[in-house]
Amino acid sequence: MIAALTLAQQSLTRDGFTEALPQNIAFAIIAGVMLFSAFKTVTTGNVVHAALYLMIVLGASAAIFILLGSDFVGATQILVYIGAIIVLFLFGIMLTKAQLGDDDSVSSERRGMGALVGVLLFVVIGFAVVDTFGNTEVAFGDPEPVVFEPGSFAVDDLPTPVVDALGFAGRGGEVEITQSSFDLLDPEVQRRVPGAEVFGNNKQIADAIFSDYIIPFEATSVLLLAALIGAVVVARKE
Amino acid sequence: MMLNQFLLLSAVLFSMGVYGVLTRRNGVLVLMSVELILNAVNINLVAFGAFQDNVQGDVFAIFVIAVAAAEVGVGLAMVLLMYRNRKSTDFTELDMLKG
Repeated sequence: MIAALTLAQQSLTRDGFTEALPQNIAFAIIAGVMLFSAFKTVTTGNVVHAALYLMIVLGASAAIFILLGSDFVGATQILVYIGAIIVLFLFGIMLTKAQLGDDDSVSSERRGMGALVGVLLFVVIGFAVVDTFGNTEVAFGDPEPVVFEPGSFAVDDLPTPVVDALGFAGRGGEVEITQSSFDLLDPEVQRRVPGAEVFGNNKQIADAIFSDYIIPFEATSVLLLAALIGAVVVARKE
Repeated sequence: MMLNQFLLLSAVLFSMGVYGVLTRRNGVLVLMSVELILNAVNINLVAFGAFQDNVQGDVFAIFVIAVAAAEVGVGLAMVLLMYRNRKSTDFTELDMLKG
């Protein structure tokens, strides 16, 4: 009995469930809310309710992004989806007088076929995913320590909190910041030191977008312009 | 956390989106279901990005969000046009190309 319990505990620890218990509880809550709202989005008869349930789904997925450590994508999700797209949907509903009450009833045959296709898709994707990734862990450690390259800096270039913390106030010219003096600093001050890698991946995202992905980025701006003009041309009155 | 829990969540979301696209008749609701599908893709991208410990997944997710915004804008304009011409947003009535 005890051996079985120990074994179970070991397997739980191995698959990281207990190691990341708070994250897993958060994931369970978010996933539950998300799936319930997604189900209501595709089944509810009221169009406005569908839009509001969709908003909950999108908010929950923003929470998932933040849980995965991608805070920038989560913030973008909230700004673009909840801030703009849901409003656009509500405008679309109001402007088309799409039955604000019940959606037209759909034949049960069509519902059945839709459900069959959905379930089959899920079974195929789920099998492929479980078969391929098994117990693969998403690597999450503690926040990485702030990386810093020792060197000399001009006092004028340093932010005031750094100058105060290191006792450089009143000095001019170049000063040396060593690794040991950097380690003694408060984390809040550490990230203000020039060249220190800040926590989070915003910096890397900015680097990637404006170097490797600069052409797709510019193409996206053209796409948005084309969509803007296209929407105006399509929707305007003759 | 396991990678699978995110991938399976996104698989369920994707399947629900496909169900919505197949069963909904109102154009606005079809577009909402498409949003569910795109969102499932985004969760996959970000989860793989976290798994590989690089930002490429995040960057692609941001591009997907931008493209989704453009898609909704044009799609809703088309639904609006359809409503203006036919006084209905039922996609199943769009069968003019049927011989």
